Amino acid sequence: MHLQDHHRLRHGNLKDEERWLQAWAISFFLKKKTELEVISMINNRYTKISFFLVLLFGIGLFYLGTDGFTAFTAETARVQQLKADKPKFPDVTLEDSMGRKYSIAEFEDKYVFITFLYTSCTTVCPELEYNMKQVYDKLPSTVKGEEIVFLSISFDPERDTPAVLNKYKDFFKSDGETWRMARIPNQTELDSLLKAFGVIVIPDDNGTFAHNSAFYLVDKKGSLMDVMDYKKIDEAAQKVVNILENSEEK
Amino acid sequence: MNQSFYGLLLYIFLVTPPVANFMESLMVIHMHMQMPMLVIAGMLMARFFQKRFPRFFEKWNSNGVPGITLFVILMVYWMLPRTMDEALTSTLVEGFKFISLPFLAGISLRDSWKKLNPFGKNSIIISFTVLFIGLGWIYIWSPVQLCNNYLVIEQVTLGWAFLLTAIGMIVYLGYNFFIDPSAYE
Repeated sequence: MHLQDHHRLRHGNLKDEERWLQAWAISFFLKKKTELEVISMINNRYTKISFFLVLLFGIGLFYLGTDGFTAFTAETARVQQLKADKPKFPDVTLEDSMGRKYSIAEFEDKYVFITFLYTSCTTVCPELEYNMKQVYDKLPSTVKGEEIVFLSISFDPERDTPAVLNKYKDFFKSDGETWRMARIPNQTELDSLLKAFGVIVIPDDNGTFAHNSAFYLVDKKGSLMDVMDYKKIDEAAQKVVNILENSEEK
Repeated sequence: MNQSFYGLLLYIFLVTPPVANFMESLMVIHMHMQMPMLVIAGMLMARFFQKRFPRFFEKWNSNGVPGITLFVILMVYWMLPRTMDEALTSTLVEGFKFISLPFLAGISLRDSWKKLNPFGKNSIIISFTVLFIGLGWIYIWSPVQLCNNYLVIEQVTLGWAFLLTAIGMIVYLGYNFFIDPSAYE
């Protein structure tokens, strides 16, 4: 449109042809505008779509990464995995505080309540063993040694000789029979057990180890059946009592 | 073009096994050096992708919101204690770390940050400050070991690094709020 036309339009002095031109011009500008609007709307729609895709991706990522929003630390994930897998106690040779050597077959047809420790440990292990003792004390004496055996396994075979274990067991008034303390002298065998049961042991510079702790319960056939929080003593004792009662009924 | 090339060099340096193993051996370097540097490598490389596919970013990230959301999601994901552990024990997760941090988080941050308005930018920084204080608090005063592959002392170090970063961001926010740069020009 020319300036001239503008002038005429403004002054209302229009011929038919000019009116047509005016209508065309208006529609042209409108169309142009809507095209721009449409472009930004499309962009907006794409951006909305990508925003929702990103959200979906995020939810999926967190769902997969935390096993369905349940395990935010590797430790929880490890315990859940163990409970699902129920690994077998590997065929390793244990050497207990009395120097006796045997494999897990020694406890056939009995449940085994297990903790992992090393006796030079001054932090978690005494607490772990003390809690284990409390679970031990809560069980009726008729089942101990008959239905269930308590077993503390050292992952420091070099220092924890039978003599050391024998001394250590006395701190917790363990009888060495229904509650045994043992080491696994062969390092390869020890590693296979630690790996199977997901026990992570990191030696640090001061001759101590960082490790994760839990109560492990192995069933009569030598498979891991439960991993329990070692700080929840009553819960663990109750669970063991229930399991023993159920197995008696069968 | 140059910066994309340097970004690629940085990325190659970071994924080189001896470098990666060293950086992952210390928890605080793992989270506060390796991971941010992977994001930075991605931000440098972003130029290349922006020039190559300008329509893509314009179309799918026109206002920067999807991009910054993707960035935040990935950052939070990699701050979970579990993902740090699994990046060490699982090759799959480690591979995902080396791909997601530069190519998803880094590129989307670079493309989105300029598109955000000041309110959006400040909200992001404030949220991260709060998150870092929270994480610092958890890592320092948590009674339990959160990561199986690191010692508790490293966990505490990491907690302090989070708190220091949070303090740095608070200083930045304060500076932004109180000081008018044009007064010094």
